[in-house]
Amino acid sequence: MKKSLVRAAAVALTAGVALTACSDPGVQDPSSPTEGGGSAAAEWPAEDANLDGVTLTIWAAQNSNKTADPVIAGFEELTGATVEVVTIPDPYEQGIQTKVATGDKPDLAFWQPTESQLNALNATNNLLPLDGAPWLDAMDPALKDLTGFVGDTRYAALISTPAVQGVYYNKEVFAEAGITETPGNIEEMIELARTLDADGVTPFHEMAADRWGTQWWVQIQLANAAKDGLWDRVNANEEQFTDETIMTAINNYKGWIDEGLFNDDIKTATFEDQGDALLAGDAAMVVQVNSFFGQLQAKADTAELDEKIGFFPISPEGNVGTSIPDQSNAVVAFKTGDATQEAAAKQFLSYWLGDGYADFVQAANTISLQPDVSNPDGVPQALLDVHASLADSVGSMQSLAVANPDLYINLADMIQGTKTPQQVGEATQQQFAELAKALGAEGF
Amino acid sequence: MSTLFAEPTRAGQAAGHGRRTDHPAVFLVPALAVLVVFFFVPTLFNFVYSFTDWSGFKSDINFAGFDNFSSLLGNGSLLNALKVTLIYATLVAVFQNLFGLMLALLLERDTWLNRTARVLFFIPVIMSALAVGYIFRAILKPDGSLNGILSFITGLDVSIAWLGSTTWTILVAALVHSWKWMGLSMLIYLAGLKTISEDVLEAARIDGSSWWQTFVQIRFPLLAPAVTFNVATALLGSMNGFDVVQALTEGGPGGTTELLNIFIFRTFGQGLFAQATTMSLILFLTVTLIAFPVVRYLRKREEVL
Repeated sequence: MKKSLVRAAAVALTAGVALTACSDPGVQDPSSPTEGGGSAAAEWPAEDANLDGVTLTIWAAQNSNKTADPVIAGFEELTGATVEVVTIPDPYEQGIQTKVATGDKPDLAFWQPTESQLNALNATNNLLPLDGAPWLDAMDPALKDLTGFVGDTRYAALISTPAVQGVYYNKEVFAEAGITETPGNIEEMIELARTLDADGVTPFHEMAADRWGTQWWVQIQLANAAKDGLWDRVNANEEQFTDETIMTAINNYKGWIDEGLFNDDIKTATFEDQGDALLAGDAAMVVQVNSFFGQLQAKADTAELDEKIGFFPISPEGNVGTSIPDQSNAVVAFKTGDATQEAAAKQFLSYWLGDGYADFVQAANTISLQPDVSNPDGVPQALLDVHASLADSVGSMQSLAVANPDLYINLADMIQGTKTPQQVGEATQQQFAELAKALGAEGF
Repeated sequence: MSTLFAEPTRAGQAAGHGRRTDHPAVFLVPALAVLVVFFFVPTLFNFVYSFTDWSGFKSDINFAGFDNFSSLLGNGSLLNALKVTLIYATLVAVFQNLFGLMLALLLERDTWLNRTARVLFFIPVIMSALAVGYIFRAILKPDGSLNGILSFITGLDVSIAWLGSTTWTILVAALVHSWKWMGLSMLIYLAGLKTISEDVLEAARIDGSSWWQTFVQIRFPLLAPAVTFNVATALLGSMNGFDVVQALTEGGPGGTTELLNIFIFRTFGQGLFAQATTMSLILFLTVTLIAFPVVRYLRKREEVL
């Protein structure tokens, strides 16, 4: 009796061990047909090739699950394929990384096309290379190679204008204070802020309760250093977050907060509050990215936004923006091991950025990345300004560093008073080193 | 029926437990298999993966020795998370039992009003913990309804950031957690109170014992088994806590409510799977180290019964 129980338990245990065999299930068997970008992966099927009976799955976040709809309708009609959008709940990136790590993959997914985030998906093993894609020639030359690479291999297709870190300002507040010209660099902007502060206007609004926006203030200060190879040095462990360049940016940020240039409720303010504050003119400026403007668009129409809200890029040495493409700006295709599915996924991308692009741009009311496809009417001026700043922008930490540490959480901790600037640098560096080591970066 | 299971029957008879024949131990196998596959094996792998460099970034998994442990112990975040977890667990264990016991005493008599109230207080137990967290987050924000009510009552403009203090937010989170689970403690204390013999209480009444004296000298000591169960489950449940706090504060403000599980979740989300596994092993060991002595102590209290 006892023996049979033990035997049964042993069988169950062996089965369990066999099921979870000691390897990373998120990684392909090397013998799979597409490994190393084989011939099937290198070919691009025609946009209208027949796909009857093929079902493609796209993973999307809560704020991007409607983005592909106009393209899907056109593609389904043209090819006979079925395309399903699956919404992955927030936090989107963590959810996808976990799913992919356990071997669950869609055919396509919205994904931040930066190197650090492509690494997070183990791009070389899990994603289809998109080199030689048919749409590349149609892209605006300034944006074509802006992002989406790991090393020299392209893994992400940029579908809409990438986000830029810059300053959104309330034109009415500026006008009331008699400001006719926007500042030309960060020093001028701080001077302007002090003037506004003296007039009793809150110069800047920050949202430390939601945390994620805190990192923009540090990153805009690093724009010129980034141009000079800061992140290359950080990637090689030749320079650290605790060294002078990045520490100065963190210390400055802390100094300006302590000086009172930010909203009084900085510790409890949220992303939502930030939008309300700028629209109402309770604060003059907000350092943010495109999704902030998306929030404003949900609160006001184009006419009101054109009247009230302006945008200028900023850096220590001029009006240079820091580009940070996000998850809603790009799509990646997965190596699923099934040649038909992979070809269909590439065909879908070809259609999206080919014949389907004009419809997509119209329906999404977004800026076109292809000179031959014109912008829809009624794109707000601020968004056009953001787009215009892209051409000479520099990459963000997410774009240029090999890993993306939780700098924003540490900065939010600093604002809450539980970390000193020094500790922010240390904690960020520690995590960065941990990630870089896991990535196998040299020097860690 | 028993002829179908010849072997267990024989084994049962050989061991001299005839009654075993009508519920042979082989019936355990399905449940055991589920337990092994979904609990023992993952726990085992939790140990194994802690000593590797498994991550979301590369294909192979290599043995890494104590690398993860040494880098984690040198990292202040882990110790902070452990400290926060222990404080949180203690607060929850105290509040949840205090509230549960008070409710049980209040709703002890079986009137229809009390029965209704018991159902109402039990509802949070069956609610989704995430929903509870989000609801309280909305209630407690600076322009939330709690401040609205306070403003209405006091006639002043109250805008307290209930979840904004780096000192007190953990207390608020523990209170919310206790609020969610106090119904369960109440139920168990009620059951405990019902088992106390009427004779003993009557004897106390005849001796002229006051309500308070009866409670402290007789009823509370006799509740020992219920206390053991409630304290142990509250302590262990809150040490493994995640959902309520994640929804309520996401570990903020300033990391002061970052429970170990939230830290693990964050690390796992970064793709550092081996490090996250190591942390959950540390959590497992911590819970074990604390749970066994506490349960042992509480069981000892029961020996007077």
